[in-house]
Amino acid sequence: MVLSSISPLFIIWAIRGNSLVPDIYFLVFCALMVFIPNIFIWLRLRTAIRLEEKRELIVGRADDSRDHILVYLFTMLLPFYTTNLDTWRDLVAALVALGFIVFLFWHLNLHYMNILFAAFGYRIFTIYAPLDSNIFTSKSGLVLITKRVTINIGQHLTVFSLSETVYFEV
Amino acid sequence: MELDFDLDKIGITEFGIGLEDDEGVQQFCCMTIDSDIQSALQEMTIATWSAMNKLDRDPPLYDPSNKHESPEYVHLPIDDELATQLRLLHFANNLPINSNALADPDKVLCYFARLTDAEGRRLTALRRATHFKGVLKNRMILLQLITNALQLIEEKVFRLDNDFDLLVDSTTLHIFRPNSFEFLGRLREALLAAVPDNIREIEGDLTFVDFTHVQDYAMKHTRAARYLASIRSQKLTENINESALKETCTEQGVNFTEVDGMVVVQDGHIMGFLEVLDRRRYRVNLVEDSPERYKATARRKIK
Repeated sequence: MVLSSISPLFIIWAIRGNSLVPDIYFLVFCALMVFIPNIFIWLRLRTAIRLEEKRELIVGRADDSRDHILVYLFTMLLPFYTTNLDTWRDLVAALVALGFIVFLFWHLNLHYMNILFAAFGYRIFTIYAPLDSNIFTSKSGLVLITKRVTINIGQHLTVFSLSETVYFEV
Repeated sequence: MELDFDLDKIGITEFGIGLEDDEGVQQFCCMTIDSDIQSALQEMTIATWSAMNKLDRDPPLYDPSNKHESPEYVHLPIDDELATQLRLLHFANNLPINSNALADPDKVLCYFARLTDAEGRRLTALRRATHFKGVLKNRMILLQLITNALQLIEEKVFRLDNDFDLLVDSTTLHIFRPNSFEFLGRLREALLAAVPDNIREIEGDLTFVDFTHVQDYAMKHTRAARYLASIRSQKLTENINESALKETCTEQGVNFTEVDGMVVVQDGHIMGFLEVLDRRRYRVNLVEDSPERYKATARRKIK
């Protein structure tokens, strides 16, 4: 999912090209970095639906995480789009920096940021369980990718699990 | 007894694991499962409910002081103090998913299914992890279709049982194996913690008894704490007659003294006194001039 979330960057890099690596290799590399993670997500989603990996989420609070797309744009696409990749040092530095950001996205559970979901009309909400004194109720937020525009408090949602913290509503 | 859940219209089936760390802290989490395991869990739940109904259609209330059979169908209201741990699990929302929950099998306490029916009602079915963990330690042998040769399985294998130990719906704990319920519901801790409250309640009925020694004793002895919980939950001290109680104690060999008009049970006779209150001691006069005294490990009121 993390690699899928950065796939638009490789589209831009592929369009810009690179003077160090022959186009054929660079384009193949970028194409693989775009298609493989997204195909994997598609397969994961299809498998979750086929195996009925469903669960019920109860909404205590639902935050619209639309603003996270801006974070994504400013930390990922814009800086790397303007990066100069004309020397080996620049290219390696860009890849290492990308590695750091990928790690941070993964570590901070921001890997659900994906322009593809937005392109298909999905929104992202962070769902919290209703506040109660129950020690077993989860206190951390779960990410829901859904076509709903609003989510009401108290709503019971049937969702498919993409990962431990990311859920998808068909 | 009815189940507040429609087993014919199960919508969602989730699977979870109960873990206990070295310090005794429990946590419950879910794991994603495929449709085959979901079907297996549904079958286990239906098998449990069916077996419960075959045993008893009108199950008695769970009595913490009784020695129970296994299996034996008893029930407990979900708002009962003894059901606290399982009530919390049943009503917990959005349990976290932990795909590494089975990484350390020694920490696995139980596994459970969380079912939701078409009307959104929830049913929690629990099973103490015994076989579930046991098979993991012994590699299984398997008949290979290609070679007909038996082979050892090297991968970790967990085995589901045929039924659950208890079912929890929105109102009731339907207990199929009371021993497992006591283990999973952390009953020992709950009973000992409930001693002061139970004593306070019982004292209100028996104002002529000094319960100081009884409380001290029960705080250290689970069996006495069980009797107190049973006496309180069944309201067995309501309207007890002072002279009748003294007479029964004397008859049953329970020694006591009277200090400032208060009955003080002697050390070494506290269990006997609690057994009298819990209706566990009885006398049979079938042989002339030779009364026999007995103690019941389990009893049920005859209507």
